[in-house]
Amino acid sequence: MKINKSLKLAVNIIVHSKLRTWLTIIGIVIGIAAVVAIVSIGEGMQQNIESRLGGLGADIITISPGGGRASVGFRGGHGGGMPGSTATSAAAENLTKKDVLVLQSVGGVEFIQGIVSGNGQMYYLGEKATVSVEGIDPLVWKEMTTSELESGRFLGPSDYNVVIVGGRIAKDTFKQPLTVNRMITIEEKAFKVVGILKESGGFGGDDSKIIMPIKAARDTLEDVGSDEFDSITLKVANTDDVDQIMEEADKKLMISRHLTEKEKDFRISSSQSVQETMSDITQTMTLFLGAIAAVSLLVGAVGIANTMFTSVLEKTKEIGIMKSIGAKNSDIMMIFLLNSAIVGLVGGLLGICLGTGISSLLPFLGMRLMGMGREGMTTVVTPMLLIYALLISVGIGMVAGVIPAYRASKLKPVDALRYE
Amino acid sequence: MVIQLENVWKIYQMGDVQVPALKGIDLEVKKGEFLAIAGASGSGKSTMMNLIGCLDLPSKGKILLGGDDIAGFGESQLAQIRGQKIGFVFQQFNLIPTLTALENVMLPLEFQDVDTPAAREKALEILNLVGLGDRVHHLPSQLSGGQQQRVAISRALAVDPEIILADEPTGNLDSKTGAFVIDLLSNIHKKDSKSVIMVTHDFQLVKRAERIVYLKDGEIERIEHKPKEQGGEFA
Ligand SMILES: Nc1ncnc2c1ncn2[C@@H]1O[C@H](COP(=O)(O)OP(=O)(O)OP(=O)(O)O)[C@@H](O)[C@H]1O
Ligand SMILES: [Mg+2]
Repeated sequence: MKINKSLKLAVNIIVHSKLRTWLTIIGIVIGIAAVVAIVSIGEGMQQNIESRLGGLGADIITISPGGGRASVGFRGGHGGGMPGSTATSAAAENLTKKDVLVLQSVGGVEFIQGIVSGNGQMYYLGEKATVSVEGIDPLVWKEMTTSELESGRFLGPSDYNVVIVGGRIAKDTFKQPLTVNRMITIEEKAFKVVGILKESGGFGGDDSKIIMPIKAARDTLEDVGSDEFDSITLKVANTDDVDQIMEEADKKLMISRHLTEKEKDFRISSSQSVQETMSDITQTMTLFLGAIAAVSLLVGAVGIANTMFTSVLEKTKEIGIMKSIGAKNSDIMMIFLLNSAIVGLVGGLLGICLGTGISSLLPFLGMRLMGMGREGMTTVVTPMLLIYALLISVGIGMVAGVIPAYRASKLKPVDALRYE
Repeated sequence: MVIQLENVWKIYQMGDVQVPALKGIDLEVKKGEFLAIAGASGSGKSTMMNLIGCLDLPSKGKILLGGDDIAGFGESQLAQIRGQKIGFVFQQFNLIPTLTALENVMLPLEFQDVDTPAAREKALEILNLVGLGDRVHHLPSQLSGGQQQRVAISRALAVDPEIILADEPTGNLDSKTGAFVIDLLSNIHKKDSKSVIMVTHDFQLVKRAERIVYLKDGEIERIEHKPKEQGGEFA
């Protein structure tokens, strides 16, 4: 029998047992919807991290003081926007000019700069705010940053008491937006705003920073020695070499600072390594939650199998009739397999619709219930996710239908015909 | 196609008890013959029909269809014989309740991979022939018993089989409708020279056959021949 005929008969069975079929389908709908929604949260987290860390630039390596090789830190130079990251670490010994010289000898490094950073009180038009200040080498910073100017200009080598302001500070921090040529006060020193940066939206960028020449930063922020840096950033020539350069920089610093593995008092990280670690975490979480959702799919599968057994039992006589007029075992098998595959398919289709709907509502719910911000939760439904969900639901339908379909196909014609 | 039964036994196992339904049947049905099987209830008539129709296999003995022993056939070959060479008509009509008359008649053709337009045409032709041209889109539940049995006969004829097996085709019909159905069967037999084997209790109907096999307790009691002219008169 041709497949389209088997399909017609399979559909006929479904059409004539609507209620039971729908109840079965609901089981799959719930399971698939749960999986889609949960995985979309995971994907959303993933994308969030990627876009936020994107501001760091894939070719930037950051060295900052602080022990512990296992801990992933990104603070100092390019991590100032991250909540809770402070400029100086009391315990760890600061990085020095000597370290910069050592790092200069690492092959594949295109640019290098020492950065001084810290928090400072800022005044603007009578308003006060604590801001993260970063002192940079104007010539090098221009080459390394991924931030773009919204207006104004970058810092020049002869600049002293001028600053560039991160987009978020300029727009959101004060009642009156900051613009170029405005005067601000940081730690009782006056600065002129010469540039405003475009907002990047991520937490790796310079959105919440005040960028000033390093000389000015040393004079403004209290606790930085004249030879010391809060962090050193490297820009590598080739992104592929990041891991290898990190390793070499690590080795050279250890030697020059006379440190053993245990005494290590600095951290090296790249946006890549941070991203990878974060991705690993979200992936594990998604997998775990997805597995829980998959349990409901299992229940759905058992539902299909149960319905199929009932259906086969109910159709026993018809199976006998079909065999008496020439149906082969394979024909019967196909009809019932298609039957359960359709149940899976319809359940999957409705499930991904429901799941997509839920996932688009989740950010709002998350905001309401958990008080998360606008960027607190995003969900992403990728086409791949939908395709997989559909394949899985059809697969589940077929697997659940195999045994009942096989039982149906093996019925002896006489016995089946006799069944009432 | 010649049907030969050689010392056919059918023994049902009921727990520890063995129930012999057929005890050494020897019979040859010639091509194009109209044969009736009569006998008391439980004498083994349906059992014999099921064996001839390849719905079941004998416990002992041989059943030869066109000279081939059906015991040697696999599942799909038996299905093929049922689908191509044999048309069944049952007492309970046995139509698929969720398919229309037309779809029921098309079904055996579809199992034989006949394409839809051809199957449709053939099915409509036969349904017209049995006088159901205006009922083709009715479900079995929307048809009378006689109409349902005519659909069932149409379905049996759809693949143009060589043998028609009818197990009490009139059992659920009143005598007038029954007579009409028998006329239909004997007409098929005469016109298309198909072999027709029919089980019936009804002595009036039995007389329409060319040969009558009387079964008793699983054995052939006697065989009655009738001259050809007398059998299968068409009303
Ligand atoms: N599946 C079965 N299991 C056990 N015994 C069976 C089975 N089928 C038939 N029998 C027995 O075999 C014998 C013959 O049954 P069969 O159905 O062939 O009779 P029949 O001649 O068709 O009767 P009726 O005129 O009532 O239809 C009966 O005694 C019946 O009980
Ligand atoms: Mg019977």
